[in-house]
Amino acid sequence: MAPVIGATFSPFTMKKTLIISALALVSVVMGCKKDETEKGPSYEFRKPENFPEPTYTFDNNPVTEAGFKLGKKLFFDPILSVDNTVSCNNCHNQSLAFADLPLHGFSKGVMERQGTRNAPQLVNLAFMKEFFWDGGVTHLDFVPLNAIEADFEMDEEIENVIAKLNNHAEYPALFKQAFGTDEINTPLLLHALAQFTTMMVSDNAPYDKYLRGDLALSEQELEGLHLFEQKCQSCHSGILFTDGSYRNNGIDSVFTDIGRARITSFSGDIGKFRVPSLRNVGITRPYMHNAKFATLEDVLEHYADGVIDAPSLDSSLKNGIPMTAEEKAAIIAFLKTLTDKEFTQDERFFKG
Amino acid sequence: MKKFLFLTTLFFSIALLSACKKDEEKATFGTFYLEFDNIVGDQDLTLVDAANSDFKYANSHDQNFNVSLLGYYITNIKLEGPNGEVFVDPVATGAAAADVKGIYQVLESITASQTIGLTNVPSGKYDKVTFTLGIPADIVQEGATGGVLDPAEGAWLWNWDAGYIGFTFEGRSPASPVAASQWNPENSVQIHIGGWKDITDNPMMVNNVKTITLDFGTSVSVSEKLEPQAHIKMDLLEVIDGHHGSADFTTTNAVHTPAGGTEFAENLHSAFVVDHVHQ
Repeated sequence: MAPVIGATFSPFTMKKTLIISALALVSVVMGCKKDETEKGPSYEFRKPENFPEPTYTFDNNPVTEAGFKLGKKLFFDPILSVDNTVSCNNCHNQSLAFADLPLHGFSKGVMERQGTRNAPQLVNLAFMKEFFWDGGVTHLDFVPLNAIEADFEMDEEIENVIAKLNNHAEYPALFKQAFGTDEINTPLLLHALAQFTTMMVSDNAPYDKYLRGDLALSEQELEGLHLFEQKCQSCHSGILFTDGSYRNNGIDSVFTDIGRARITSFSGDIGKFRVPSLRNVGITRPYMHNAKFATLEDVLEHYADGVIDAPSLDSSLKNGIPMTAEEKAAIIAFLKTLTDKEFTQDERFFKG
Repeated sequence: MKKFLFLTTLFFSIALLSACKKDEEKATFGTFYLEFDNIVGDQDLTLVDAANSDFKYANSHDQNFNVSLLGYYITNIKLEGPNGEVFVDPVATGAAAADVKGIYQVLESITASQTIGLTNVPSGKYDKVTFTLGIPADIVQEGATGGVLDPAEGAWLWNWDAGYIGFTFEGRSPASPVAASQWNPENSVQIHIGGWKDITDNPMMVNNVKTITLDFGTSVSVSEKLEPQAHIKMDLLEVIDGHHGSADFTTTNAVHTPAGGTEFAENLHSAFVVDHVHQ
């Protein structure tokens, strides 16, 4: 007769029950241990439910704790610059959603050299199709090469960076830990940086909490949301607050910086720049590629009353965007609900 | 009954074993070599130092020039034969140089780079080769890659319009008015053909990556013992002074945008010719 567990108390089943109990106990203990580690920071890339699929090629470069921490060390390390004075962090501060200081309309590179465009925030990069104001870069991996090699940013040659890292006291071991390789090369450097920057996901602003039903917005903020949907959303669309297109938003009639045309060689693109995400816009002043506007009030005043005509001016702005003073105040109140303090205070990104 | 079963089993085992053996014999592989020989019109191409003032070549504008840098990327190589034979050279990207497969940078300065050995080619006859000249979108969009695509190892990567230069020619011509700078010597001529983007709503996003098919004019056999070679000539003059575009060095001497390289990219098809194949 086949024994049925639990039906009889033969010595055999007793023993088995004990073993099962012991096993259960062990798994409960292990379970507790696991829970404890889960309370620590997670280094897994997590797509927010209401975000689009990431564009980043995580299959080629999955985020790991060692890779993320290596990327962070590199992000804060001026070793990437020619005279070891400028790090990524110089122009991308976490407290400002990784934008530059308001004082620096154009960022400062090595030897006090000045850039030509306002440094953008670094947020939700894993979901973006193109990068920089002109969209010349179509894969996040290649973004840091521009900062490293631009003469007014870090002015360093990638060959030298790789040599410096390979001869460094700490980096070879850290790369080995992250990627299992003895030799540091360009793709590994770029992968480490991308592991750090793809994790910069901002989805915990008051607006996100409002969407999830966890927080109420004020009457003015709701009115601002309503106005935003009518007046701004055709370009600043979707959960990322950009449609990723290139437009001339009427900030000039003559463009010394030709913008998108630099990439396309198309005269119709002169003066067009990428529509930026508005997430964290309340803490990323000044605004526009040329840092023309110091405050959000200035920006809305521009759209209401200051649009400058030019051949490539976006058709939706030919007559400006009429707004009363009250409407502007409401829209700004709404825009400030996109400031994600959990992101700007996320300890995982701290220099440590 | 038992005896019958045993015999039957034995018979099928032998049949299976011999079938396996037969299959193994059938599927054999060999190596096919593609040799790239760069020329300038009717002359062999010889590199000189960047500052050299010996100008041994001339274009149709009667402008003399020399060549200090020349090369191109080749990938997605496919061999085809008259009886339906097909060999596709596998392409792979990765951070480690060893992971990068099927992507080649042919450099005039490195003799070894001018011969591409295609291994594991199924035995059979082949009379045609197809390859991509330049690095196409699907490879660029894999992100940072090692080996011949690592910029610290000499890859031709444009940072600002991120993608690879598919074809590079640099030299000097007395006709070029370019002044010396940190980037180039006096009288320099630089023609970099890049651009890989196809964007339907923007006709100016130029894709200069070309697919080139060359007939051998005859067929050659690959087997374990036969390693044929296709000797391909690439005529620089056809690229920079060809049917679709001809560089007048007084004005066209610094091509560094996709749009600027389009006319020369159109010339690439006729620049590559199979000179001969040998068995």
